[in-house]
Amino acid sequence: MIDRLTPPPVPEALKKARDDFPILKREVNGKPLIYLDNAASTQKPQSVIDAITQYYADENSNIHRGVHLLSTEATAAYENARTKLAAYLNANDESEIVFTRGATESINLVAHSFLAPLVSAGDEILISHMEHHANIVPWQLLCERTGAVLKVAPIFDNGDLDTDSYISLMGPRTKLAAIVHVSNSIGTVNPIERIVEAAKDRSIPTLIDSAQSIQHMKLDVQVLDCDFLVFSGHKMFMPTGIGGLYGKRAKLDSMRPYQGGGDMIAHVSFDGTTFKAPPYRFEAGTPHIAGGIGIAAGIDYIESIGRDLIHNYETQLIDYAANRLKSTAGVRLIGEPSHRAGAISFVMNSAHAHDIGTILDTEGIAVRSGHHCCEPLMKRFGISATARASIALYNNHEDIDALIESLGKVHQLFG
Amino acid sequence: MNSELKALYRDTLLKHSREPKNKRVLKDADAYFELKNPLCGDLITLYLKVSRRMVSEATFEAQCCSICMASASMLTEQITQSDIEGGIEFADSLIESLLQPGFSIATLENEDIQSLAGVKSFPSRIRCATLPWEAFKGAVSRLI
Repeated sequence: MIDRLTPPPVPEALKKARDDFPILKREVNGKPLIYLDNAASTQKPQSVIDAITQYYADENSNIHRGVHLLSTEATAAYENARTKLAAYLNANDESEIVFTRGATESINLVAHSFLAPLVSAGDEILISHMEHHANIVPWQLLCERTGAVLKVAPIFDNGDLDTDSYISLMGPRTKLAAIVHVSNSIGTVNPIERIVEAAKDRSIPTLIDSAQSIQHMKLDVQVLDCDFLVFSGHKMFMPTGIGGLYGKRAKLDSMRPYQGGGDMIAHVSFDGTTFKAPPYRFEAGTPHIAGGIGIAAGIDYIESIGRDLIHNYETQLIDYAANRLKSTAGVRLIGEPSHRAGAISFVMNSAHAHDIGTILDTEGIAVRSGHHCCEPLMKRFGISATARASIALYNNHEDIDALIESLGKVHQLFG
Repeated sequence: MNSELKALYRDTLLKHSREPKNKRVLKDADAYFELKNPLCGDLITLYLKVSRRMVSEATFEAQCCSICMASASMLTEQITQSDIEGGIEFADSLIESLLQPGFSIATLENEDIQSLAGVKSFPSRIRCATLPWEAFKGAVSRLI
């Protein structure tokens, strides 16, 4: 990493972006809000808030059911979100986008509907040491039920994945290789292209957890050629409670339903039920329609700025933040990966992460303190918690400078 | 620093957190109890040596924040040479007075422990202060 303590210039398109997020105008504890907890959830632009309001005010009704105008409009708006997501990820077809409650549910869906019928005792599921609990626990539950074995690839002390080890753990009994694209807690960007390539050579299906990358960089599932990719809307300026699963159509076609209910069936009788084709087979019950509409508005918002511009700027800003933190008295970074996106974890010699979080909060600065749903990773570094600063497109160097200044106060108090 | 933050990090509390009393494993403990706050990962293990319902020694090990550390340190001082029942009563009073808005811990006769009162302005930190006392109750429940 090039040492860079000069703040990166904010592109014109992003200078204005800050005004698009009404919450960034509020105060917290009498100070202007500085929001650096974007890996937990991003803020919402006015256009997303307006789209949701408009749906409830003018279009509210159920989808895929009525013949009346409102239902037709709501159905079109919801399906429009699917089409936009497919284009956003460059999926082959919108039927490859399944709406879920978020990345966690998407992984559970794959565990239940794709992998469960394929694994038996002794088969293996491969993950890494830096996974979020969402990419650990569903597989553990599946292993408990089936006798399959969870294989965990190690990481290096700097927080990089030991990619050679990950690939060497791909064996004849590996039924799925799952990996996080960007670590939510330490910001490592993993070489998913190499991992997918190696898995394909061995005919092993792949799942990419893109919850922490999809808002920061371009993803092209056709170029990447992964089998599954999961994400959450609320981490990309969209509503909570909705996210998605990208799955190759051939894989989705082979899968059993995840939940049963209305809207996912072709025909129901007491003698038996037939199911709709993907993606509807996996979407039982009335979905989060307003959420879908929020997704469509969110994608329009991101595209109006441009993902390359966002990625380029954020890469400079996160480097700046990491270098400023590294040269701050009493601060130690946890993980200094070769490629970083979104997040930086750190600890202080004297102050625990919660104390840092509380003091920063009184300064109006929101960071996350804790294990970040990555307990095995924390244990790997011999700690129980870190403070984490994570950025989004609306952050700037002044936010980072304010963080550094307030950490000085923490250092002063705790010595 | 604002006044609520000053009230949270009082000198007494900071002293206990920087130089905690009785922070060590008690190898011949009669009971111990490990408790974790799953929300934040704070982990504390409380050890008790008990003779005829009297706590003769109390120690702890912890990976936790300053509030939890200080609270644990104060706890070991409070309950040593106290009978089990009195210790539980104290723990219950402390937990209740921290959790209930109308209650004050000023009535508890331990000046150091009164310095925990500041957490009441920080709802997300109350559990940090109560965790050691919950661990104490857990350890007691394991005594025969």
